[in-house]
Amino acid sequence: MTQDRFTGVGLGLRRPHLDEVARREEHGVPFWETCPENVVGDGGRQHRLACAILDRDPVLTHGLAMSVGGFDPWDDEYLHGLGAFLLRTGTPWHSEHLCFTSVDASHLHELLPLPFTREAARHTIARARDLQARLPVPLLLENITYYAELGAAEMDEADFITAVLEGADVGWLLDVNNVYVNALNFGFDPKAWLDRMPLDRVAQIHIAGHKRFGDLTVDTHGAEVIDPVIELMQWTLQRLGRPVPVLLERDNHIPDLDRLLAERMRLQEAYDAALAPSGVRHA
Amino acid sequence: MAAFVLDADDAALEADPGRPARRQDLSGDDQRAFREQGPALMTYRELARMSLVEPLEDMFPILKVLLEKTGAWEACIQAFLDARVVRSPHYRDIAPSFLGWLAETRWGQDRWPFLLELAHAEILEVLVARYPDEESPAGLHAEPGPGDLVVLAGPTQVVSYGHAVHRSRVDSPVPEARPTHLLAFRDPEGDARLMDLTPATAALLRQAQDQPLGAAAEALGFTDLDPVLDLLRGLRRDGAIAGFLPFP
Repeated sequence: MTQDRFTGVGLGLRRPHLDEVARREEHGVPFWETCPENVVGDGGRQHRLACAILDRDPVLTHGLAMSVGGFDPWDDEYLHGLGAFLLRTGTPWHSEHLCFTSVDASHLHELLPLPFTREAARHTIARARDLQARLPVPLLLENITYYAELGAAEMDEADFITAVLEGADVGWLLDVNNVYVNALNFGFDPKAWLDRMPLDRVAQIHIAGHKRFGDLTVDTHGAEVIDPVIELMQWTLQRLGRPVPVLLERDNHIPDLDRLLAERMRLQEAYDAALAPSGVRHA
Repeated sequence: MAAFVLDADDAALEADPGRPARRQDLSGDDQRAFREQGPALMTYRELARMSLVEPLEDMFPILKVLLEKTGAWEACIQAFLDARVVRSPHYRDIAPSFLGWLAETRWGQDRWPFLLELAHAEILEVLVARYPDEESPAGLHAEPGPGDLVVLAGPTQVVSYGHAVHRSRVDSPVPEARPTHLLAFRDPEGDARLMDLTPATAALLRQAQDQPLGAAAEALGFTDLDPVLDLLRGLRRDGAIAGFLPFP
């Protein structure tokens, strides 16, 4: 599923950087990721800058609000705009979160966890298959952070994700920071968790920073990536044995572009080291 | 889950986190899971509410200060969340949803008659700046004539307020009661701009969209059409007017 032009470490394209990215063609970022919800149906100067960058540079798309595991009907008008946008960008796939984000047509704009039940898995598989049939490119689903289990679980998170990915026959956007954060909050070994997963379905990786609040670690996308998460990314890449694209997410406390480019470079070096033939193997 | 994250009564939920599951007639095991994970579920409450409230705090800073002075901001936010009117997948639509809710419910406007106008003025430039890009209607010409209709550009708004809400500031949020007319439009670079209008010019820009420019100007007491045509040419160059169409 991975396409040759999408390797290395890319960045999320964010509004504070649009002016500068549009001006700097030699930014060194191999690809950008953009959220269609922030572009489709928008207008004005910032929108024009975003479109100019997306028309110029390689782009992956990542949705926020489709509510794949929810019960609300699809927004057909939005889906139509989304399909046209995906084709315009030339993205090889479109990713969405394995969660729900709306209830009774009310959008909560938060990634809410699905119950780890057989019924929820069946429902989400059917929804993901239906969504896939409506999109012009392959669908990936991303594992989220979760802070509570909604209702009595019939399986654990790993089995739930595996059931949905395989049942829907879709690719996996593996967020290694989410795995790490969940491992901290629920007390498991992230590598052992990953060893149970269908890694052959991984088409893309997300990486980000997080923050601890009391007993809870939250996926904030508001800090630099810490070394253990980088190491988990490297471990995963070595397990995969192929250069799937990694995307650095930064949505809060967004630094200036040069600082973000420096962090991207640090991750790129770790990426290259992990995939080099003589790269250090991590236990 | 929507009830859990959006409903009022923080303390009651903290004391009994199983209540939403009970109200939904979920199984005993599900209710127990909710009860046992109260603190973690409260985290979702905090995160989801933050997602919906932060754009309001960012977009309506003057309104927030005004209502906070009387302790009414939280009540306003809770009433908005209770209404469940955020129906768009676009994060940028949360603030306009709030504005629409204020217009529909007239919340707080008995006490603050300018509240809706103030909220509208606070996001007017953003609404104009982010209006969806679209093609202009076909058949427009650039030079206005007395027999033409004025066609405003898609993002352009001719706005009339009863209060000078565009002059409100965080340190002086209560506006003067004074009729105010504004033209909000997007310039050729795509940035929002505001222009003060006289009452007659505001009326002309509205009426000349439906009746010939010359007739509209005459009815409004413009004795000389040349300055009007000059103004309209300038507004077309600036991006406020898309062009002109012969009256059918």
